[in-house]
Amino acid sequence: MEKATVVVVGGGATGLGILRDLSMRGVDTLLIEKKDLINGASSRYHGLLHSGGRYAVKDQEAAKECIEENKILRKIGQSCVEPCGGLFVRLDSDDPAYEADWVAGCQASGIDAQDISLEEAFRIEPRLSKHVVSAYLVPDAAIDGFRLAWQSVESAKRYGGRIKTYTKLSDIIVSNGTVTGIHVQNTLTGQVEEIACHILINAGGGWAGEIAQMAGLEVGVQPDKGTLLAFNQRISNHVVNRLHKSSDGDIFVPHGSITILGTTSMSIPSAEDTHTSREEVEKLLAIGEQTFENLRDYRILRAFAGSRPLYMPPGGASGRGASRGFAIVDHKSQDGLSGMVTIVGGKFTTHRLMAERMADLVCKKLGNNQPCRTAEEALVPQVSGEEKKKAHKLFPSFGTDLAATRLGPERFKRVVAAMEKNPEKREVLCECENVTRAEFEEIARESTSHILNDVRRRTRVGMGTCQANYCALRAASAFASCGHEEAAKDSIKQMKQFLEGRWKGIRPVMMGRSLKETEMTRGLYELVFNINGEEED
Amino acid sequence: MIRSDVLVIGAGLAGLMAAYTSAKQGKKVTLLTWGEGTLTVNSGTIDILGFDENHKRVNNPLQGIDNLPADHPYKKIGRQALQEGLASFLELTKQHELTYIGSMEANQPVVTAIGTKKRTAYAPLPMVLSEQALTKKKIRAVAIKGLKDFYGDVMIENLKKSFGPDKDYGVIPIDTGLMGGRDITIQDVARYLDTPQGNADFLSQLEDLDQDTLLVLPPIFGSHGHTVYQTISQEMKATMVETTCLPPSVPGIRLRYAFRDELRQLGVDIVESSKAVASEIEGTKAVSVIANSASNQRRYYADRFILATGGFYSGGIEMRDFEKPIEPIFHLPISFVKGEDQWTNEELFGSKAQGYAKTGIETNDLLQPVNKEGQVVLDNVYIVGRNLAGFDFCFEHSGNGIAIASAYKAASVGMGKEA
Repeated sequence: MEKATVVVVGGGATGLGILRDLSMRGVDTLLIEKKDLINGASSRYHGLLHSGGRYAVKDQEAAKECIEENKILRKIGQSCVEPCGGLFVRLDSDDPAYEADWVAGCQASGIDAQDISLEEAFRIEPRLSKHVVSAYLVPDAAIDGFRLAWQSVESAKRYGGRIKTYTKLSDIIVSNGTVTGIHVQNTLTGQVEEIACHILINAGGGWAGEIAQMAGLEVGVQPDKGTLLAFNQRISNHVVNRLHKSSDGDIFVPHGSITILGTTSMSIPSAEDTHTSREEVEKLLAIGEQTFENLRDYRILRAFAGSRPLYMPPGGASGRGASRGFAIVDHKSQDGLSGMVTIVGGKFTTHRLMAERMADLVCKKLGNNQPCRTAEEALVPQVSGEEKKKAHKLFPSFGTDLAATRLGPERFKRVVAAMEKNPEKREVLCECENVTRAEFEEIARESTSHILNDVRRRTRVGMGTCQANYCALRAASAFASCGHEEAAKDSIKQMKQFLEGRWKGIRPVMMGRSLKETEMTRGLYELVFNINGEEED
Repeated sequence: MIRSDVLVIGAGLAGLMAAYTSAKQGKKVTLLTWGEGTLTVNSGTIDILGFDENHKRVNNPLQGIDNLPADHPYKKIGRQALQEGLASFLELTKQHELTYIGSMEANQPVVTAIGTKKRTAYAPLPMVLSEQALTKKKIRAVAIKGLKDFYGDVMIENLKKSFGPDKDYGVIPIDTGLMGGRDITIQDVARYLDTPQGNADFLSQLEDLDQDTLLVLPPIFGSHGHTVYQTISQEMKATMVETTCLPPSVPGIRLRYAFRDELRQLGVDIVESSKAVASEIEGTKAVSVIANSASNQRRYYADRFILATGGFYSGGIEMRDFEKPIEPIFHLPISFVKGEDQWTNEELFGSKAQGYAKTGIETNDLLQPVNKEGQVVLDNVYIVGRNLAGFDFCFEHSGNGIAIASAYKAASVGMGKEA
């Protein structure tokens, strides 16, 4: 039977932060996740590293936490952060009184909000609406949730931390008022096993309520769905926020070659619901085009949705009014059950801090007095400039830097060696994200790469502007030749699954140039490959 | 003033076929094109009908057409135009050393770029799986070093399903020497095989294969006609068969060259890099089409206009906002399905056509655009190919058949040679 001192349930940013923190303090920790890592709220959001400006009026404590954590994540997760900076802009239709409150709030929270002239604002963001009447620069940034998650795993692994993906909690074992272990099921193979532990941490996010229920406990979590749009270009070079009372569809975040606009806010019964509709798309566009008037001229790549896991203490507010803060529930003091703690709420930007608080509590219970070091030590070392320079001739134009940030030094070294040895491994599988066959194969061979979509989240294959149009075939072929599971050997199934996954996000935005791209995809895969017409004879 | 008898807008298969048919009747034809035309992304096989409405495979396309609903474009085009149009297409291709083999009454299998089978009515000679080819015991996929989008492993995996477990399968790697630190495309290899050196180099790597071998290759045998394929075939003991491929699609490019050469011979004025953006209309007649090139704007006057600008892919139909599709040149009425649930299916690849894909221009049986009441909107404008409403060509595998037949009909109607 597998054993761990601590088992963390939930492979979102919070759970991974806890895994890393505890591992660094020498606690034997295992994390389980029912799907691939970062499948819930931690990847289904803007990818915004908050400066705290968003909370400067409503919740200054959250604002202070954000700006502190913002500085820390830039330092420890250098290759996950695009330090693009942020703008808060007020339109002539927005309440001027709010601006004054906001400026004061930023000052009180320690956020450096720099008033800039309109001339300067239009110079740095030429597409901004001319209805903008004031603009402030803040230290917002874009952050890659997938990369941060996997780098956190790397970091934890150096200290003995372990993960199991596609592993679903099926049962919590309680004996004499104490949690002693869990039963889990592998969702790909169906295999069931028991894992013994001293402490179980419920970091299930939107699913935390269901997990608590398995131990007969009640934790109030209200999933609050946010829908976002990804556009195929950089509409702005900065994160652009509307300077008004927080509302739907008022933040634009540039990421590499795309921009994410969000989000809506809607209470839903289950965090599993990631469905998006035309109505939500229309709503986001209608608000977004107030900030960027020509918004509808851009191609929308896809719509996606995730749920904020809002903690609901009895009698609290809901929706956007509910706190973005987090809560730690010790079930021993609250419910009389030893060996189980729950963490809910919070936001991506402050996940490290949340993990630190949780690890403090757990270490206290375990009698471990190691201090937290997660704010000082980098997640992964950087690839040196010299190594990148040497490798430059092997990669497509901008590909060296992208590969280096995605891979980290050890994998980068192996990928470069593979490309040097065999020039065919230099094939660019994904032009949009500059992914070479060598990089794809490096990730596909890892034990956590079960299906093609897992490799996608790691390498970004298929996530760029073609939305897998060209690379689905290439990726399926590469996966078939090096994937380690039986699934990898059915390339048509992998291709279909890959493209159907993309389709889910394209469907609600089937207008404008998405129509054109979809016609291309269908023309290739249905007509030229006939993947929808397998022969029965 | 630029005036022609017929102005064709668009240079995909439908536009080229319309220009050809008009010019053959002695008309003065101008062909306006913006970009390459879609033949570079066209499979090059002439699919007439591959699947019915319920995604059941159609074995006999002519019979399959009879069972289509009344508002399907084939029903308007009619059997005669389809038959005559195809005969005319076959005549043109033959003159330009392209041999198409097949029948309107029996679909035949061809091998795709991933080793699956696809069925089509007329296949270019190098893709045809002859009876004799199907008896070969050894099946070999040719993997060209550095070539993108054609992968030996995936080919073999699917070829086994396509040709059965009793055969012997393998991959033969060959090196064309073209890979100078960058990926190469099928078109690069085809151009290489256009040269005597490429030809000889290819043969030297594969000539010792025995006659019990079926070689499956991407369409690399030259970018013009089928002569390179025929010449090499004669010198090889093994049998060779080409597959479909991702763009740049060589079988489509070969067709494009054939049409281009033919249209030039017939004196068609091909105006490239000109985007038709608007039109001038008087009553129920179109007078001229206004087109922008890089340097200027021109008016093209004609007696007859054939609209072959395509659908959403080519920009012949645009939809900037939900439920507001437009045809940007003549602003013709567009037929489309309303409601989010009807617009798309939950699955990208399913057993039901996609609603959005049927968006197009409704016509009468003469292919003139009509409004909701069925009245002709412009009586000297004709609609062809993917501009037509009521069919999902990706789902039913009918695009090239409809393109050829509708273009033939639109160019023949009222020209003394009624289709």
